Amino acid sequence: MKRFLILISLAAFWIVLLFVVAEMPPIGDPANPTNTHVVPRYLKRGVEEAGCENIVTTIVLNYRGYDTMGEVTVIFTALCSVLAILGREKSKTSYSEVDASPVKPSVIIHTIILLILPLIIMFSLYVILHGDVSPGGGFQGGTIAAASLIVFTLVFGYLHSLNRIPVRLRTSVESSAPIAFTIVGIISFFYHRNFLTFMLPGLSSNYQHLLARGLLLFLEVGIGLGGATIFTSIFYSMKRMEQK
Amino acid sequence: MTFQKLLVNFNYVVAATLFLIGLYCVMVKSNLIKKFMGLNIMETSVFLLVVSTGWVRGGKAPIMVGVSEKASFVNPLPQALILTGIVVAVSTTALALALMIKIYERCGTLDAEKLKGME
Repeated sequence: MKRFLILISLAAFWIVLLFVVAEMPPIGDPANPTNTHVVPRYLKRGVEEAGCENIVTTIVLNYRGYDTMGEVTVIFTALCSVLAILGREKSKTSYSEVDASPVKPSVIIHTIILLILPLIIMFSLYVILHGDVSPGGGFQGGTIAAASLIVFTLVFGYLHSLNRIPVRLRTSVESSAPIAFTIVGIISFFYHRNFLTFMLPGLSSNYQHLLARGLLLFLEVGIGLGGATIFTSIFYSMKRMEQK
Repeated sequence: MTFQKLLVNFNYVVAATLFLIGLYCVMVKSNLIKKFMGLNIMETSVFLLVVSTGWVRGGKAPIMVGVSEKASFVNPLPQALILTGIVVAVSTTALALALMIKIYERCGTLDAEKLKGME
């Protein structure tokens, strides 16, 4: 009965939403309000103002750098809360299913993962480092790297992978994204500019663009390393099994 | 007439439908993980809605490598905003799942109806 009432009210809501959708401007029209306000300036002057060809990366790291700084702080805070709730993994007491099971994983999966894993990690590095001239960036590459580490853990078991990716190494890298943002932000103070300015004054135009590109790359690497280790740590801390 | 407009804005129709599917999950399902999956579906519908607003007919990806003067580009701003949104959604999902693991260890169930009377 309750379910029926909810369905009816949601259907009514759906019809109202359809009328709203019919009133919205058509998708794909260059004259839509969303495409005319501030975006033409980004597209026209983005390269000369930020020194980076990929406009999405420019917006994420340069025009809206504060947003992204808050965002990396949000992931870091999420990691802190997860660790506060669940605690870090304990190297001796918790076991994954692979470690506990008497059946070894098949040779085929072992071999294929060993073959594919270096390629995945190389691809993630490419996505991170090539993010300024092609689709990609720190978050995407970091997530790919984290996914490869998680696959490694699922196949080879928890204990074996913990030897490869120890806690001490992850702890020092997890906060790299906010730290990278702070370093880049403070560099601009020395040139008497606002926080997170990329185009620093008093340099020749060529050198200025080179420096902006370098700072952008530094941020991408920081975000990528931080994202990869944060997602891996969250995965490890969620892994648990009943003690027997 | 209205129907034709709906066909033009088909992405928005799908977004509205996904939103209501997610809302249905949140309202009807009693398992906490299923409730949160409904919330994630709602987030996805919002991402679809915002990214769809940025598409321009005949536009290319906004990467300025070897492009002519007249080329038109899709709107990069919604993509950048949704990149932020996806990361925040992942963070909230991780936090909620961690809380659910703790709830399950304490109470032995994830059913919202059974959890209601528990201390």
